[in-house]
Amino acid sequence: MFRHDHDPPDERAEADLSRLFAQYREALPDPEPSADFTPRLWQKIEVRQSTNRQVKRLAQGFVTAAAAVSLLIGVFLALPQNRVSSFYAHTYLEILAADQGPGDPEDVEIVRTEQVVHETSR
Amino acid sequence: MLVDFELISRAREGDEAAYSQIVQAYRKRILGTIARLIGRPEDVEDVGQEVFLRLYFSMDQLRTPEVFEPWLYRLTVNAAYDYLRRQRRRREARMADLSEQQVMLADAAAGSRRQETEQRHKRVRELVGSLLGAISQQDRILLSLKEIEGLSLKELAKIYRVNENALKVRLFRARQRVLKAYAGSQAATAQARGTE
Repeated sequence: MFRHDHDPPDERAEADLSRLFAQYREALPDPEPSADFTPRLWQKIEVRQSTNRQVKRLAQGFVTAAAAVSLLIGVFLALPQNRVSSFYAHTYLEILAADQGPGDPEDVEIVRTEQVVHETSR
Repeated sequence: MLVDFELISRAREGDEAAYSQIVQAYRKRILGTIARLIGRPEDVEDVGQEVFLRLYFSMDQLRTPEVFEPWLYRLTVNAAYDYLRRQRRRREARMADLSEQQVMLADAAAGSRRQETEQRHKRVRELVGSLLGAISQQDRILLSLKEIEGLSLKELAKIYRVNENALKVRLFRARQRVLKAYAGSQAATAQARGTE
């Protein structure tokens, strides 16, 4: 395509290639943008913005739901703990005493029997 | 710079009118660069829109207005690279499109001067396209920016965020490979002429 017989082959090929690149630039000049280039661009920007907004809203909803679920789990975990703590609020002896209070007929009987045994032994 | 720093600062702060002015100023140049990088005129506008879309959503990441142009070129290179990667997956469809295009061009050929120029341009486009096909897509874009777009090593170093020496080595190797492909194509042409 490009010949210069007096140049060494490498230099000639280098020069040919540079010229070829320059011709390529000429063959593909900067194209004129279409009339609707900018309006179409704004449309795409708006679509992407609304998608981003939806994703953001979805993410916020997810965060809120996650917080609510966490709160519920917290409450569920807290409630049984309260019951357990009230159960263990008294000592074993206190509960035993409450179970076998002075009004228990068996206890009265035991006391009476002991008194009778004691009096007869005298 | 096609716009002043103040306009870029305003666009960065969310001023839509300023952003529109930037698009207006740069769109033709960016479309030209994309056309030469991808070599498919019908897809140039779509890739160009993707560049400006990415620009809009990344303006707030721009550190200073001074680095705007390398930033815009980086977005352009990335969008062109993404496009070429997608095209590689659709190569078969592309071959079908090209043959259709060639048929249409052959039908339209009537020997007028304008058509002769178009034919010559077409030959150059095809030849350069095939030569650049001898190197990887990354090297193709790098070499195109240097040799066809005329960007300096300094500008390329800013775009690629690597030092100039590394770029020189990469460019030299890419150019050597293209030269080898060029020598091969010349030999093939000479052989074809010899057999005629």
